[in-house]
Amino acid sequence: MLVMLLQVLLFNQLQLWGVCHPYIYVLCLMMMPITLPHNADMFIGAAAGLVMDVFCNSMGVHTAACILLMFIRPYLLGLIVNDKDRLNEQISLRAVGMEAFVKYVVILVLVHHLTVFLLAAWSWSHIGFVLLETFVSSIITILLVIGYNMLKYR
Amino acid sequence: MQNLLKILLRYSNFLVFIALEVAAFMLITFNNAYPRSSVFSTANKVVAWQHEVVSDICGYFSLRSQNELLAEENVALRNKLSALDSANTAMMHYVSAKVVQMTTGELNNYITINRGSKDGICRGQGVRNSEGVVGIVRTVGQNYSVVLPIINTRSNLSCRFAKNDYVGTLHWDGKDSRFAQLQDISTHMVVNPGDTIITSGLSPVFPEGIPVGIVENSVLKDGDSYYTIRVRLQTNFKRLKYVEVVQNAHQQELEELTDGLD
Repeated sequence: MLVMLLQVLLFNQLQLWGVCHPYIYVLCLMMMPITLPHNADMFIGAAAGLVMDVFCNSMGVHTAACILLMFIRPYLLGLIVNDKDRLNEQISLRAVGMEAFVKYVVILVLVHHLTVFLLAAWSWSHIGFVLLETFVSSIITILLVIGYNMLKYR
Repeated sequence: MQNLLKILLRYSNFLVFIALEVAAFMLITFNNAYPRSSVFSTANKVVAWQHEVVSDICGYFSLRSQNELLAEENVALRNKLSALDSANTAMMHYVSAKVVQMTTGELNNYITINRGSKDGICRGQGVRNSEGVVGIVRTVGQNYSVVLPIINTRSNLSCRFAKNDYVGTLHWDGKDSRFAQLQDISTHMVVNPGDTIITSGLSPVFPEGIPVGIVENSVLKDGDSYYTIRVRLQTNFKRLKYVEVVQNAHQQELEELTDGLD
């Protein structure tokens, strides 16, 4: 919730070099423990995306991206985390280990950001710009998410 | 039947996923086609209020340059006052508004202003500031409206050269908020850097002659019969704070007339 507020108040104002729009609110979605049913997770994703859409004037774009993110999350975790018991707590750097966590964050953030920017452009004619935007914004988001984890679980 | 149920249960996650994504895509396409719902946009009261508070705080940092702009505008207005052509301006009415939220770095930029249907704002009205053209009103709420600026890849604006009557369409390629592209100018006309582009007045949205930009350069590719002209926009979107909505008293009548032709 706090991260969401931070996103809307601070990070939406941030427009570095015209191509950098980090969406750090995915942090709360990514760190949710796998305790709820998968369906419920996807509805939570949809709700979070809808709130972002209202603030970004981009009806449906964040919603679609968040649902996709919540859909692939358990499968991805199953692939890269060996100790399944760790998934019952918050998915954090400490819980799943450095290597698995970095893999997890990089893949999910890239998928989410690419979806958002592609859907926002709504055509293939700006594909170069979309890819650049995805690349730059993802790097910032990934650094922020991992940095937050390092500070909190030092 | 039981087997069918089993299969449905087994793939329920995937089915829910598909259903939710279809709903989201319907939202996107619906919003692309009919951007009228003001509840789910920054024309919403709560959302706009949040943006207004943020921009109020940020506003203090640009007070000095805003003051300079206002002073410049005062001088320009006083000069114009003497040469006022009352016949032409009588049907145009201006409503001043403050920008409460805007983006300049995305492909589809939007501006939210603090005037809505209460103040007589309607969809399709033009928006300008003291420097030049800003955009066109797209969604109207009770107290706030969302403007589609010329720096949006979905925008197009009818413009003409100030020196003669050649008319073209202004588009934006999504790259730099200081430049836009003028198209449909055929090659038999001579285009020089420094030529002034103004609104054409061919639609009821803007009166004729509002500054749009200045030609930066023009490119003629082999085999093309139209120029690609890069225009430096007069409006500085990075420091846009106050705008004016243009209300044409005859807009409704003009639109009804042209609608009847289809």
